[in-house]
Amino acid sequence: MKTIKKLLSNDAVFVAIVSSVLSLLVGAVIILLLGKNPLTAYVNLLQGSGLLPKGKYGGGQSMLTDFVSFVDAWTPMIFAALSFAVAMKAGLFNIGISGQMLAAGFISTVFIGYSGLNAFAAKPLVILTGIVVGALAGSVIGWLKYRFNINEVVSSIMINYIFVFVVSFFINTRYLDHVSRRSREVSAASRLTLHQFEIGGYRYDIPLGFGLALLAAVAVGFLFNRTVLGYEIKAVGLNRVSAEYSGINSKRTIFVAMALSGALAGLSGVTYYLGRYASIGPRVLPQTGFNSIAVSILGNNAPFGILFSSFFIEIIGKGSAYMSSRSGLDTEIASIITALILLSSACSAYYLSLRESFRSRRKADG
Amino acid sequence: MDKIIIDGMSFTLPLFIMAIGGICCERSGITNLAVEGLSGMGAFAGALAAYIAVKQLGLGYAQAHVAALLFSMVGGMLLAMVHALMCIRFKANQVVSGVVINLLSQALTIFLVKTINSTVFGRPSDQIDLEVSTRFTVPGISSIPVIGAFFRNVYPFEVFIILVSVVVWYLLYRTGFGLHLRASGDNPHALDAAGVNVSVVRFKACVLSGALCGIGGICFAYSISAQFSSDYYVGYGYLAIAALIFGNWNFMPTLAACLIFGFSRSLGYQAVQWAQLPSAWSDLIMILPYAMTLLLLVFFSKTNHAPRALGVIYDKSER
Repeated sequence: MKTIKKLLSNDAVFVAIVSSVLSLLVGAVIILLLGKNPLTAYVNLLQGSGLLPKGKYGGGQSMLTDFVSFVDAWTPMIFAALSFAVAMKAGLFNIGISGQMLAAGFISTVFIGYSGLNAFAAKPLVILTGIVVGALAGSVIGWLKYRFNINEVVSSIMINYIFVFVVSFFINTRYLDHVSRRSREVSAASRLTLHQFEIGGYRYDIPLGFGLALLAAVAVGFLFNRTVLGYEIKAVGLNRVSAEYSGINSKRTIFVAMALSGALAGLSGVTYYLGRYASIGPRVLPQTGFNSIAVSILGNNAPFGILFSSFFIEIIGKGSAYMSSRSGLDTEIASIITALILLSSACSAYYLSLRESFRSRRKADG
Repeated sequence: MDKIIIDGMSFTLPLFIMAIGGICCERSGITNLAVEGLSGMGAFAGALAAYIAVKQLGLGYAQAHVAALLFSMVGGMLLAMVHALMCIRFKANQVVSGVVINLLSQALTIFLVKTINSTVFGRPSDQIDLEVSTRFTVPGISSIPVIGAFFRNVYPFEVFIILVSVVVWYLLYRTGFGLHLRASGDNPHALDAAGVNVSVVRFKACVLSGALCGIGGICFAYSISAQFSSDYYVGYGYLAIAALIFGNWNFMPTLAACLIFGFSRSLGYQAVQWAQLPSAWSDLIMILPYAMTLLLLVFFSKTNHAPRALGVIYDKSER
């Protein structure tokens, strides 16, 4: 009980819990208005993510296979949210994660996914390519920011669209699979997910990138709490002028922060396009890149918080398909609830001031 | 040549009115990244109104157009109120609020389209079809070579947009309210000291912005695809934001930016047709407006002066 109380007194935890509970309540009201049972809908979300047993399973499937697929979907989200958090610490709003994911995924697909290398060469190369391409794509935004004073939100959105259309052009002219209307599938050897891997009669989608995602979370935590670079990034994010005054090269810091953020986005891209999926759809940005913004903010831009918030948001994302098939609710309901959670987590200052005034009133009363 | 001008203008003007919406909001000190979402909500509300007017009430196309424009403003205003509440009452991070409003608008409108189509109209579909907008040609002037093309095959809403933008310009630069609005973006403390409620001014500015974005939304829905569906969200709202930043939060330079976007796009499409390239090349053409924006920003961002209090939550105690 004492630990719970202590946890709740942490501002970030308090805000995350208040906004999640509020939004789930609002979501429940919406579902009620549609004449469905919100409790079953929410249970369906958990079942779809392999956290609760379903009524019946098809051949080769079990609760564990569902959960492993859930982790498969969760992995890119962790990377993407970490990517946003790193940029945010430097005071940069990286809304270009989707584009960086796409660029990294596309380059890896073309050069390694279609290359016919064996698994031992291909998988590390995919990861490496993802990191390099993502870092390049990210640092361009950082460069435009410090060199030309271009607002990073605008430049990253423009670059998002440029990537989408360039990739779509190449897919449509060279790499199109005429049946699926997506790019041709990458070789199994290069995929970061062992697709339908059979163990004891069950078929799993085992995400090899998940360990790397956990590692990345630890590394980002270490970067910000234990290293000079992390300290400099935070200083620039809090006040660029005063950081500059105290001898920090803010231009270099912005560049490095965006490159790091881009590298994480690139990892997200390869675990998404060469892991969870094996192909790229033309003219679509991965929604993961945008949702990761909210995930990161819900997790207070802290690696540990992000692990929790991404887990939570991904349940809604992954479970929505099962929910929609079971209770006939549209999958958009899940997106609406996600948006509500994000919207209410943006009100953190308000919740904290409410709690503050509540506390001081209680103190005044006795 | 004529086609470039006609298509260019029908892309430029909706973009321009959305950019003006952004200007209204940002000049009052509230960052507005929600242009995309606001215009989408406007497009949805307008399309729904037009559909009901034609299919259910049997009204003519002229009335349907008026209804579409009116309700697009209402739709944009309603969602803008959410943004205003978030930014003013709940002191939310304005950038986050804007981005999330975009996510919310996209999810909400698509959900509403599906739900309303299946429950009210009894036809499962994820889009609202619009009648193809009639166009008109001004007799006389339109026969002048080159310039005449500006008066040929004009959408009625283009005229409406020009009228509205003149009115908004007057409101912003020639009235007391406009002065308050601009002051609240540059020095809200001074405005407060003069006895004006900053929150109210900002709220009004934000709602006005929603209405203007809504108009832009329904016009895009009419001119580009003659329907509303998830395809609507292709990022023109962000393009409008780029235009207004490029235009230094002023009307005429912003219009210039919109013209560049509009004409580079229509020119590109024409070029693909002239060269008889396969349709996949249109993907490359779509890059033009975005690449142009980046390029222009490279040259013009240095001299940019955003409203001084932009993005800063107004706190009375700091006066």
